[in-house]
Amino acid sequence: MRGLLGELATGDNGETMTITDMEASIEHMSRATIRHVDAILMVTEPYFRSLETVGRMAPLAQELGIEHIWAVANKVRSARDEEIIRSYCAEHGVELAAVVPWDEAIQDADREGRALMDYEPTSPAVVAVQGIADLVEGKSGSNGRGERG
Amino acid sequence: MKIAVAGKGGSGKTTISATLSRLLARRGHPVMAVDGDPNPNLAIALGMSQNSRDKMVRVPKDVMETKEEGGTRRLVMARPIEEVTAEYAMPAPDGVNLMVMTGVDHAGAG
Repeated sequence: MRGLLGELATGDNGETMTITDMEASIEHMSRATIRHVDAILMVTEPYFRSLETVGRMAPLAQELGIEHIWAVANKVRSARDEEIIRSYCAEHGVELAAVVPWDEAIQDADREGRALMDYEPTSPAVVAVQGIADLVEGKSGSNGRGERG
Repeated sequence: MKIAVAGKGGSGKTTISATLSRLLARRGHPVMAVDGDPNPNLAIALGMSQNSRDKMVRVPKDVMETKEEGGTRRLVMARPIEEVTAEYAMPAPDGVNLMVMTGVDHAGAG
């Protein structure tokens, strides 16, 4: 998969956004698999074992020279949840890209086998992911509509 | 830009990958979503119809090959990338394209 990821989005000056849903954690894969990505989003829940995965992945991502290493807090139910993730990221020098709140719409959409974007496109989780899209656009220096125009 | 989404199983990375893919596509970006999970369900999270999901073929391992170059082994494309995406990428809502990778064999691992 390494070479394939490397090849994707190189034929069009990197204009294509390639988003790869990886196997659970990057340490299970050969390092070469993710060497060619520009950014890694490490999705974490506000509990220790999930955060520990971020703690293990971040140094590996740094070693690989990945330019943008971001944590995404997910299933955040309270200010305390958010604080746990914020302080863990601060301690480990990882930038927190977004805080995605606990959102019933995700479970409801899942139960019906539908995409969250179709089930409830204005749900709080979608609003939070808009923030990730803003960040990605900012770092890639491209605005979809602008470039097309 | 190439983005990898990782995290402990059950952390919600598939929902985030799918939602981010569709939002970026709606903003006008060409988007290629890649399911690299051995237990793939990005297609459902993207909202792809059952009919389209049934037609999906996983990208076989042999699109890549190992080449020896000056004593080092490198993985290189065995076929042009355009040909691979034309054959295996399927359209999902909002103009997202999806490719599903062949799961890595983890025989003996955990």
